[in-house]
Amino acid sequence: MALTDADLVARVLLDDDHHAFAELVRNHQSSVRGVLRQLTRTDVALADDLAQETFLRAYKNIRSFRGEARFSTWLYRIAYNAFRENARKRKELVGIDEEQLQAEQDTRTVDPALRHDLMHALSLLPLHERSAVLLCCQNGLSHDEAARVLDIPLGTVKTNVLRGREKLKRTLAAWGPN
Amino acid sequence: MNEMTEEDVLDRQLLEAAPYIDDNGFAARVVSRLPAVQRQRRSMRGIILVGITALGSAIAYTLSGGGRFVNEGIVRLSNFPIWLLFVFAFGSGLVVGACAVIVAIRKTPEVRNLRRLQS
Repeated sequence: MALTDADLVARVLLDDDHHAFAELVRNHQSSVRGVLRQLTRTDVALADDLAQETFLRAYKNIRSFRGEARFSTWLYRIAYNAFRENARKRKELVGIDEEQLQAEQDTRTVDPALRHDLMHALSLLPLHERSAVLLCCQNGLSHDEAARVLDIPLGTVKTNVLRGREKLKRTLAAWGPN
Repeated sequence: MNEMTEEDVLDRQLLEAAPYIDDNGFAARVVSRLPAVQRQRRSMRGIILVGITALGSAIAYTLSGGGRFVNEGIVRLSNFPIWLLFVFAFGSGLVVGACAVIVAIRKTPEVRNLRRLQS
């Protein structure tokens, strides 16, 4: 029988069980790395470095995980903080404005596959909308959970998701067959 | 109504578009960077506690003139009525037990959280 996140966390807490933590990493690495790849605009190497940092921080601070949120939500929060800190260091967190968005759209290479289109369209969204859409629409977090991960008010998350969705629809429609 | 359906479709497409990323040794790399198991530190703490206790006992034994106060205490206790000794032992047990339970609960919040985690 597969162990739940709760069982694995308990093993790490009580026995410092590295095998249990490795299982947690295996269970969540894909979603955490996926979110970070989108946040870093598909910079795979940076995203994986941040993902490693995320799991190391999770291990060091696992005692502060109280089980009030899902383990994945807690991980996303750590991942987002790691991304923000890194972006601040690299002075990249200045927000991507509409002009920049437009500039990137102009240089796009449209992939015929919907998946590629979607992921590409997602990467063109401004950071605040991209993060909200990623967490809520792609990773199944509630608005409330996303607000906690992003550390912004609930209303802002809802607005960002709505705007992000609208932009995605517009972008995809523009790329669609005429 | 139509708007909602469009959003639902977009959400579903987004959900399905998220590629699964193979582990490819990622978990192993993370685990190799984890700090060493803290069990050593725990056992060191145990050794230190036992050492300090032994040292304290030895000092108390020496300063009390070979533990004479223990002999005197036992002689005095033997003069007490049996029911008083029983009450004293029972009361002490209750106090120590209650303290141990309180400390155990306060020291292990993760155990209290297990039910919440599993729900």
